[in-house]
Order: sequence, then C-alpha cells, then structure tokens
Amino acid sequence: MDFLVGWIAIVPSYATPLLLASLGLIVCERAGILNLGAEGLMAVGAMTGAIAVLSGVDPWAALAAGAAAGTALALLFGIATVVMRADHTLSGLAVVAVGLGLTGVVGRPYMQKTFPGIASLGELFGIERTTALGRSVAVQDPVTLAMPVLVALLWWWLMKSGSGLRLRAVGENPAAADVAGIDIQIAQLGAVLVSGLLCGLAGAYLCVATSHVWVEGMIAARGWVAVALVIFARWNPARALIGALVFGSADALVPRLQAIGADIPVYLAMMLPYLLTLVVLVASSIAGRASGEPSFLGRIYLRQDKH
Amino acid sequence: MLDTAFLVRRQAPGPWLSSLCYAGGLTFGLAVSAALLVQAGVPAGALADEFLIATFLTSDGLAQTVTAALPLVLVGLASAVAMRVRFWNIGVEGQLWLGAVASTWIGIGGTGPDVLRLPAMLLLAAAVGAAWIAIPLVLKLRFGVSEVISTLLLGSVAFLLVQHLLFGAWRDPATGFPVTAAFGEAARFGSLGWGQLHGGLFVVLIVAALIWFVLEQTRIGFYADAVGLNPKAARAAGLPVSATVVGLVLLSGALSGLAGMTIVAGTEHRLNQSVGSGYLFSAIVIAYLARARPFWVVVVALALGAVFTAGSVLKVFYGISEGMIVLVQGTVLISILMSQFFSTYSLSRPG
Repeated sequence: MDFLVGWIAIVPSYATPLLLASLGLIVCERAGILNLGAEGLMAVGAMTGAIAVLSGVDPWAALAAGAAAGTALALLFGIATVVMRADHTLSGLAVVAVGLGLTGVVGRPYMQKTFPGIASLGELFGIERTTALGRSVAVQDPVTLAMPVLVALLWWWLMKSGSGLRLRAVGENPAAADVAGIDIQIAQLGAVLVSGLLCGLAGAYLCVATSHVWVEGMIAARGWVAVALVIFARWNPARALIGALVFGSADALVPRLQAIGADIPVYLAMMLPYLLTLVVLVASSIAGRASGEPSFLGRIYLRQDKH
Repeated sequence: MLDTAFLVRRQAPGPWLSSLCYAGGLTFGLAVSAALLVQAGVPAGALADEFLIATFLTSDGLAQTVTAALPLVLVGLASAVAMRVRFWNIGVEGQLWLGAVASTWIGIGGTGPDVLRLPAMLLLAAAVGAAWIAIPLVLKLRFGVSEVISTLLLGSVAFLLVQHLLFGAWRDPATGFPVTAAFGEAARFGSLGWGQLHGGLFVVLIVAALIWFVLEQTRIGFYADAVGLNPKAARAAGLPVSATVVGLVLLSGALSGLAGMTIVAGTEHRLNQSVGSGYLFSAIVIAYLARARPFWVVVVALALGAVFTAGSVLKVFYGISEGMIVLVQGTVLISILMSQFFSTYSLSRPG
C-alpha cells in the first residue's frame, strides 16, 4: 500500500515533462510541420534551466529561461523547415544534434551540481503528510497542478476556436488555407515556436522541478517518447494527457522499486517505457481508423504545386 | 509571407548550381563550427594545425584518422543503403551495440577453434545487427509504425542491455569496473604496424567495395532509387519493391553490427561503455553529405575520422567536450540542408 501511494504520488511529476513536450509537438504537427527535434529542444531547456538556477536566478524564472532557450533553437528549426523548406526529418535530427552537442559543450561546468527546485504544494500550503491523500497531494507542485487546465485550454483552442481551426487547416490542406487568406508561413512558424517553448519548458521542468541537478544526456530519449505519444494521442491534447499518465507511470516505476529496495534487474526494467512506447504504437496502428494524422504532415507546401 | 514573392521550384537545377549551393552550405557550416570552437577556447591559429596537419599530414595523425574512419565507413554505408529506399535508420547505434555484444560474447567466451574466432564474430555481429533492425522493418511493413521512432527507441533498449551486462554478468572480475575482460589474441584484429591501424581495414575495404558494386554496378541500385523516388510507380512497373526494401534495410542493420564488431575487435579489445557512442549522428551526416553514394561515403567518413581525431586532441589540450563533435555535425547538416533552398527554388515575378 505504501509502495502504491508513493508510486501514484510521483507519477504526475514524471508525466508533466512528457505532456508539455507532446502538447508542443501537437500544435506544431497540426500545422503540418513534422518535429523530430523534441529531444534537442528539451536538452537545451534543461541545461538553460540548470544554469539559470545555479547562477542565482529564481527557479520560476529558470523555467522561463529554459522555455526561451527551447524557443530560440526552435526558431532555427523553423527557419530551416518553414522558410527554407528543408526536409523535416533531417532538419529535426539536425536540431537534436545541435541541442545535444550544445548542452555537452556549454553545460560541462554545471554538471552534477545540485540546486533547490520549485516549492511543492506541501510547502506552499502547509499540507499535512499524515494521510495517504495528504502525502500524495503535498509532493505535487504548481506546474503539475496547472497541467489539466493547460490541456483543457489547448484542446478548446485547437478544436473549438476560429484560430485553432485555421491552424489545423494549414496542416490538413495548406492550398485551401492559402486561398482562404491564411498566411501559411506565419502560422507554421508560430506553431514551431510554440513547440520550442513547451519542449524547452518540459526540459527545464525535468531539471529544475524534478531532478534538481543537471547531467549530460538526462533527457534520455524522453523527447522521442513524446514524439511517439503524439501519435498515440492522435494529435489530440486530451488524449495526450491520458498517454502522458500511462508513460509517466512506467517511467516512475523503476525509481519507486529501487526506493523500496526491491531486487530487480534495474537496466532491464528501465527498458519498460521504451518497449511500452513500441507496443502502444503498434496498438494505435491496429486500432487504425481515424489516426488523426494531419494530411499534410511532413510535406513541403509550395503555391505552384497542385495539391 | 514568402510565397507572395512567388517561389518557384526549378525544373532541373544544373550541376554547377547544385554544387555551388552544397559547397556554400558546407563552408558556412564549417565556418560557424570554427567560430564555435574559437568561442570555446581553441586559439584560431591552432584550428588548421589540429584539423588538417595533425590529422592527414603527419604519419601518426593519418593512422589515427584512418583507424577512426573504419567504423564510420560502415555506419555511413548502413545509413546510406537504408536512405536509398527512404527508410530512416535512426537506430544505427543500437545495431552497433548489439553487434559489439555478439562479438564480445564470442570474444570472451573463446568458443570454437582460434582460426574461426574472427569470422564467427563477423558473421554473428552482422546477423544480430540485421535481426535488430528486422523488428522496426516488420513493424513498418506490417503495421505502418514509423521507423524513425521505433529504430531510435530500440537503440535505447540495446544500450540498456549493454549496461545490464556490463554492470552484471560481464563486469571485469579483476578490477570491478563496468567493462568486460580483455579478448584473447585470436579475437583481435592483428596490428598492421602503423599506429593503431588493424586488420579490420581489409574487412571495411572489401565490404565497401561490395556495396559500391551492388549499388552502382548492378540493377539493385537502380531498383533502390526507383523505390526511393516513388514506390507506387516502381511497383506498377513490376519492380521487386518489397524484396529491395527488405534486403537493403537488413543490409543496413548488418553493416551497423559489423561496425560494432570492428570497434571491439580492432581498437578496444573489450566491451566498454563508450564503444557505441557518437555513431548515430555520424551515420546520418555521412550518408546525407555523401548523397548516399558508397564512394563518397568513404570520402566523407575519412573527413569525419579526422574530426574525431582532432576532437580527442582538443579534449586533452583545451578541455573541449565530445559534445563539440555532435554540435559540429548538427551545424554542418542544417547548414547544407538550408543551402539546398537556393538550388531547389528560384524567385520569379508574378506574371
């Protein structure tokens, strides 16, 4: 029972970065830009967050700094894919390389230095940790608390609002959207920047709010899991929330088992989130109908072409 | 925004324009990388010394560069043959790790007669690499699962398997470090007496020549290009689309596995945690810069081998992290990608 409470209590903090990143990717891919750069964007966000906190900046400002760094790297990706119309897959991989390389070079002096994170709800509101419920709530932080709200807002904006409809039109049929007077490039560039903002924030959260330390390679393919999560979520923010909780639970299982001293093959257990991702991808494709993939995802729109 | 200026796709960009843009992108990427290195603390005057003279023009440096290029040729070819049929093998590192694990299993076990040790390691490494990529291949052909994600995730799984072995059954009993015991002589490529260069050179040369022959001199290369350009049209024309894709993708995995084998049997002589790191982006960058052509893969791999050699020197003398190599690769890649814009499109007045 103790194990179960402990596990459930930390799931939100594992799900939050995955959710933030996949929400960003959903916005980007709904505009037709395939973004495989999440891993690099998250890495840059995490490192910037750590550097900010270690230089004495408030943890909340550090989260913002991480988001800004992700946005800056996403601007490079946006210039490549939207303005210069480069191949989305290769550009995304280049962004991962630039992000991971940059963190290795710049972040080196900041490795392995622990720092304080953001305050938990328990510290903010003085919640007693005597009951199971109290314990589960007390360890959460304001960012995880804001997640359902963010999902609801994003879902409403994307699916119900006029500007959300226009963004989706760009990803489904850019020729029609173009004729309707939507500026394709501005819409796509905006969507790319949003993905950079949210992926950068996701990385910074992972570092500043969860681990309280930065090490090179700490994203550990979570960016790629987020890319897969988008497919599972069928490009729908509401489904991404469910997916992030499932993956967060798998991700949180190993540290919990270690914490209670269970004798398990740690490295084999750490394969679980990756294998789960593969299973989910296969299951999503078998379920098939209405995959929700934007029709123009990953393709280059040019006004002269007949689509 | 930009389309209002009427962006038009050029029908057939001339070879001069294409080469010019490619060269421009490459130069720009290298210039930015050089600026980053200077920013990181390498004196500008030392760049030419470290990257050109100490890597190609001294005997020791050249030996080091060629040695570093051996696995790079193999992973570059691995990425290239898959790229020809538009299959993104982002899991080169995973297949390489498993190839290294398979060779290590034979290498430290010492099974079979000594003469057959190296051939057995080669075959098993290739087979395991091919088997590891068969999973994403089946998932893609049968279920339509994107190979970009599946190959990459299986790469992480393979690395965790290596960790499991190195921190468990294979940990060096003598020192307790997470590395395996050293291989016996029979499981090592012989030294060629020039720097660290080893007999794996012949394996790489033969494999590269074979791939060149298959892709450039037989109809398989033609099938691959037809499938890569338009699989539906290729199928309608009666070409063996599935066989071409399956064959080349399995070949890609086998080549990556071989790369793992040449590293453990050629330079490391044991399995450790750094055997497979740094090959993922190298493979993609080599294949893309070489336009997936086998001859150019070898050329670019040599150039990248020089970057690896210079990187290890810079690390010692200037404290530059290995991340710099990945950063340079990413910078050059995105720079060339962007430069293609100028050869692919032209601006024309509305009229």
